[in-house]
Amino acid sequence: MAEKFHTELDELRCETVEMAHFGRSMLRDAVDGLIRQDKNLAESVVARKEEIHRMEVRLEEHCYQLIALNQPMAKDMRIIACTLKVITASLRIGRYGKVIANIVKEVADNPHISNLMSIPHMAELVIEMIDDAIAAYETDNLRLIEAFSERDDTIDALRHSIFRQGITYMMEDPRTISRCTHYIMVARYLERCADHACKIAENVQYMETGERVEIH
Amino acid sequence: MSEPAIITTNNLNLWYSGKHALESVSIKVPKKRVTALIGPSGCGKSTLLRCFNRLNDLIDNVKITGEITLDNEDIHAPASDVVTLRKKVGMVFQKPNPFPKTIYDNIAYGPWVHGIRDKNELDRIVEQSLRHAALWDEVKDRLSDSALGLSGGQQQRLCIARTLAVEPEVILMDEPCSALDPIATSKIENLIDMLKEEYTVIIVTHNMQQATRVSDYTGFMYLGKLIECGRTKQIFEHPTEELTENYITGRFG
Repeated sequence: MAEKFHTELDELRCETVEMAHFGRSMLRDAVDGLIRQDKNLAESVVARKEEIHRMEVRLEEHCYQLIALNQPMAKDMRIIACTLKVITASLRIGRYGKVIANIVKEVADNPHISNLMSIPHMAELVIEMIDDAIAAYETDNLRLIEAFSERDDTIDALRHSIFRQGITYMMEDPRTISRCTHYIMVARYLERCADHACKIAENVQYMETGERVEIH
Repeated sequence: MSEPAIITTNNLNLWYSGKHALESVSIKVPKKRVTALIGPSGCGKSTLLRCFNRLNDLIDNVKITGEITLDNEDIHAPASDVVTLRKKVGMVFQKPNPFPKTIYDNIAYGPWVHGIRDKNELDRIVEQSLRHAALWDEVKDRLSDSALGLSGGQQQRLCIARTLAVEPEVILMDEPCSALDPIATSKIENLIDMLKEEYTVIIVTHNMQQATRVSDYTGFMYLGKLIECGRTKQIFEHPTEELTENYITGRFG
């Protein structure tokens, strides 16, 4: 029976990695849609909302079922606890992708201001963090997440920089207020996505070592 | 374990007819706490438990080395009296084993053997022991009935009451719920939780969920060795030893 449980646990992890990639791709496509002013791509991101919600419900139920039927202990228990957090974080990342995609529909008809400021660069860094967090969860490789605290500091600094830049543009030309506000919001959402990557990293650390760490 | 220990073993070894059943076991059992011993069949849990009240003395060809202390006194010292030891360290077995006597006599027998003859005092002990074992309300109107007419769960609580009647310090339980249904098991587990207010409980169990539910400390044994012992929360959340991890996650055993 233990073997069957461990096979199911492996399957759960695989499916959770799929969901995490799905959420990550929603964010990736939303950012690409923003950069390329591609409303169709943005529309396709919004359409994926239902699917990621279905994944969340299905995988959470799978976790609860494994707990109820197998009373997991030690690392098995920590894997399921971590998986539940990865599911939530992936859903949130996907939903921020959807929110950014909605912004794309608002701003796509007008030219970018200052080439989207640092948003493309910030998005690259955030998506790299998400990729590393997912890979750490998938492969138990803690080295991928060891510099997350510093990487998160960089993201916070970029968000602040975009905020200040946006304010400057808005003061200079009130016609940019709408777009700049959207940019500031996108920077905020990207920062939140990095926080979710950190949350995954914290839980992977717990899953592997049983120790709680806090990544600021 | 920083809490004061009531039983301590130091480098304890035991051989049954040459078979090395316990190897260098050193454990400190904290006072007024529940300590669970877990491990696969044949790992030495019951053997270790039976060392604590010298039940292994009854078996031929047993050799024991090392030290076991109760309240800092060596239980194998020449001056140590095994009857007094077993009064201090009571035991409840896997299968309920009431005497084929009345419910009252089952409880009163121990204190009677230890010299209490006063009927009122015996009545008081019987009632108090049955209350402590959460059995009083169920049997108070039929104390003269045979104990063998009780259900399995009631019989096991009667055996616990019988142990309590001689006011032990430590209660050893060897798989006390393995012959019981879930409801009777739950009553025994609740009882164990209450007992630790006054007694030290050491329980051997195959059921790891039971160990997590009832114990404060858990010791994992494997092939006669104590692999790891620590707070139950730590052992089941993140054990230090890989062997413990593999056992409690069902990878062997």
